[in-house]
Amino acid sequence: MAPSDLIIRLENVYTAYEGADRPTLTDISLSVGKGEFVVIGGPNGAGKTTLLETINGTLPITHGKAIVCGQDVRGDGVQVRCRVGYLLQNFAFDPLTPFTVEEVVLMGRYGTIGLFRKPGKEDYEAVQKTLQLLGIEDLATRPIGQLSGGQQQKVLMAQNLARNPEVLLLDEPFSNLDMFAREEINRLLARLVRSGITVLIVSHAFDDLPDGPVRVVVMQEGTIVVSRECSPGEVEQVVRSAGKGASHA
Amino acid sequence: MLEFIIQNNIVCHAVEAMLFASVACAILSVIITQVQISSIGFTMAHAAFAGAALGMFLSLNPTVCSIVAGVSVAFLIGPLSDKARLSPDTSLGLLFGICMAVAIFFIAYMQTLGQGFSAMGLLFGDVISLYREEVYLLAAICIVAIAFIVVLYKEITAIIFDKRIAESVGIRVKPVYYAMLFVIALTVALCLPIIGGLLLYVWLVTPAAIALQFCNRLSAMFVVAPTVAAVISISGALVGLEYSLPVAPLTAVLFAVVFIAGVLLSPRRRITFRKI
Repeated sequence: MAPSDLIIRLENVYTAYEGADRPTLTDISLSVGKGEFVVIGGPNGAGKTTLLETINGTLPITHGKAIVCGQDVRGDGVQVRCRVGYLLQNFAFDPLTPFTVEEVVLMGRYGTIGLFRKPGKEDYEAVQKTLQLLGIEDLATRPIGQLSGGQQQKVLMAQNLARNPEVLLLDEPFSNLDMFAREEINRLLARLVRSGITVLIVSHAFDDLPDGPVRVVVMQEGTIVVSRECSPGEVEQVVRSAGKGASHA
Repeated sequence: MLEFIIQNNIVCHAVEAMLFASVACAILSVIITQVQISSIGFTMAHAAFAGAALGMFLSLNPTVCSIVAGVSVAFLIGPLSDKARLSPDTSLGLLFGICMAVAIFFIAYMQTLGQGFSAMGLLFGDVISLYREEVYLLAAICIVAIAFIVVLYKEITAIIFDKRIAESVGIRVKPVYYAMLFVIALTVALCLPIIGGLLLYVWLVTPAAIALQFCNRLSAMFVVAPTVAAVISISGALVGLEYSLPVAPLTAVLFAVVFIAGVLLSPRRRITFRKI
C-alpha cells in the first residue's frame, strides 16, 4: 500500500499513562489504509483501548512516530481529534443529566467549529442529517439521561458521525445494544466503510461483523501479536488461536 | 447604581453587593455542581479565608491576598495529587485542613497580640461597611462570570457533559478547565468579605441545586440559578437590614428553605416517582 493511501501509521510507538512506571503499549507498529475495517481483539488488559487512545492523541507517546490523517499525533492531538471519531466504552448517563439528544450530537462538531465561535446553520443541518442516518430524529428533544442504554449508545455514535470523521474508533460499541440494534449498527458500519471511512473496532463479539474484507489485530500485554486480513467469519478463529499461541509461549 | 430606587446609601450598597455576588456565584454554581467540583469550591473558599486572615496580619490588602490564596490552591490540587501520589479527594482534604489551620492560627495570634481583630466579618460576611469601590469590583466580577459563560459556552457545556468526551471531540479541555478554576477563585475572593468564608459555599452550590429541580436543559439552568439567587439575596438583604438581622446567615437560611420547597415541588422528581 502506498504511504499516501495510509490513514494511520504507527512506527515503534510506546505509550505510558501519566505517573506509570512502565509503558502500557510497547513497540507498536501498525499501518491502516483508507476505508479499511479493522477488528482489534485480545484479552482484557491487553492494551486495546490504550491503542485507540494513542491513535486519537489523548495519551502521551513516549517514543516512536504516529501519523493519523496526515498529522503528527505528538504535535497536535487536538487537530487529529477533530478528524477522528472516538466512541468511548461503557457510558451511562444520570437521568438528571441536563442535555438533550440534539445538544449532545451537536457537541461532536464543537472541535471543528473552533474556539469563541458559535455553531452555525450548517452545524445544525449536519446534526439533523446524522440523527436521520441513525433513525433517532424523534429523540432529538429528549434528555439523554432518560433514554435506554442502547439509545444512548446510538446518540454517542451520532455525536461522532456528526463531524464527518475520516477515521472512526469504536470501543465495544455493541455492549449495550440488543440484536436488532447491533444489526442496524453493522449495516451502518458497512456503509461507512464503503464510503471510504476507516473503522477500527474493539470488540469481543465477532459473530455478526459487516460483510467484506476485515483486518484482525490481536493484542497481548501491550503489543500486537497478529495483524492480518481475513473474512468476517474467520475473525473469531484468528483471535482465539493467537490467544492460545501466546499462552503456550 | 440603584440609588434611584433605594435612597439609603448603606441599604443600597448592601443590596447591590448581594445582587452582584449572588449572580456571579450562582452562574458558577451551575459549573461547580455539574462538573462535580464542589469540594474544589469549598477548599478555595477556605483558602481565600486563610489568605484574607494572613493579609490582615501582615497589613496587606486582604482581597488581593485571598485572590492569590484561592488561585494558588486551585492550581496546587493537580500537581499535589500527581507528585504525592494522592487522590484529588485526599489532596483537597489536606489543603482544606491546612487552609483552616492557617486562618485560625493568624486570627488567634492577632487576638493574643491584642490587636482587637474580629474574625466575624470574614467568617459570616458583612454588608454594612462596604465602600463604593468594593461594590464596583463585585459588579466587575459579575460581568466577568457572565462573559466567561457566553464566550466559552460550548467548551464549558462539553466539559460539563463529560471531560473525556469533550477531549475526544477536539476541545482543549485543560486550558478551559483552569480558566474555570481561575474565575471561581477570583469570585470567591471578592465575595468573601460580604458573604463570609463559612457561608460562601451555600452561594456556590444551592442556586444550581434549586435550578436543577425545575430545568431539563443546561441553558435554562444558567438563567434560572442566577435569577433565583438574585431574588433570594436581595430579599435577604432588605429583610435583614430592616429587622437588624445578620444578612448573610439569613440569606443562607432562605436559600435552604427555597431548596427544600424546590425539592417538594419539583416536576422532574414527580416524573421519577411515577416511573418507580
